[in-house]
Amino acid sequence: MRTVIFLVIVLFSGALAGTIHGMANLVIVEPYLDEAIGIENQNLFASGEEEDIPAFWVEYDAYRDWQKGGQILAGAILGTSMGALFGIVYALSRKVLPQGSDLKKTLTLAAVMWFTIYIIPFLKYPANPPTVGDGETVVLRAILYLSFIAISGFGVVGFYQLYKKLQSKTKIVSFVGYGIFIAIVFVLMPSNPDEVTAPMDLVNGFRAMSVVAVSVFWVSLAVILGGLWHKFRPDAENPNIRN
Amino acid sequence: MKHPMVYLLIQVYFNYMSSPTQIVKNKSQVPIFAIITLAIIFVVGLFVVGYDQGHIFSVVLGESAYEDLYIHELTHDMRHAAGFPCH
Repeated sequence: MRTVIFLVIVLFSGALAGTIHGMANLVIVEPYLDEAIGIENQNLFASGEEEDIPAFWVEYDAYRDWQKGGQILAGAILGTSMGALFGIVYALSRKVLPQGSDLKKTLTLAAVMWFTIYIIPFLKYPANPPTVGDGETVVLRAILYLSFIAISGFGVVGFYQLYKKLQSKTKIVSFVGYGIFIAIVFVLMPSNPDEVTAPMDLVNGFRAMSVVAVSVFWVSLAVILGGLWHKFRPDAENPNIRN
Repeated sequence: MKHPMVYLLIQVYFNYMSSPTQIVKNKSQVPIFAIITLAIIFVVGLFVVGYDQGHIFSVVLGESAYEDLYIHELTHDMRHAAGFPCH
């Protein structure tokens, strides 16, 4: 393994895919965020905490522009982080992923990780826009969400070990086993304690666009890393030889 | 067939045919250094974007970092959009 090449392409893939994620959010998720924060502002005016005056909006607009720019930076950081995880798993599992091109392998792995550490936890703890969520419960909700991601992720690793030990005809047992396992965890894990008080049209639209944008991230990550791995071959002594 | 040139040509031919299998050899083992580096980047990045509530800047700014929440505010939109609990 050529370590430097491996690290560079993994981190670059993650940062670029994360930047794409951030830009996708700006286009399709941001309108819902603005609408939700607009409701928060109306609540502030109604409660008398803020006044609906031009000075408020000047400060607010500058602040929101800063936050929207921050989303791109945050996307690059989060993408690099998730890309690092993806790179570890890909490097360790590449030989057991379905035969074919690097792109096919990275897309397969991204689909597995997207489903097990994003979609399944999302179904239990879906994303919420601002206005939803009690600050008093944020630590509990963060622990629950991260725990579910970890349980699902390690569950996949555990059932993959079972998959390797089973014969071809019985490998389906590992898939069924994971399904039963995660279904039990899904039922046993406590629900989000916060009541959703925002309009459901807003909440559902936000959640749908959130899923689309995160899915764009996983596809981008797989395509970029698959392409770079094929080009630079960090696992080959001679990068000019394809296998 | 016993001419030395024939043996030489056969030798060259088989060396040529067998050379790809020698070059294709992969070093599949992933260095532990690389795994540890990526694991640290994963944890730190996830914490910065998903969970920091002033903890990182509190090292420099002290208790005020928990009220200013610079990183929280900067990552606010991504935190919501990526599904992390924000506030």
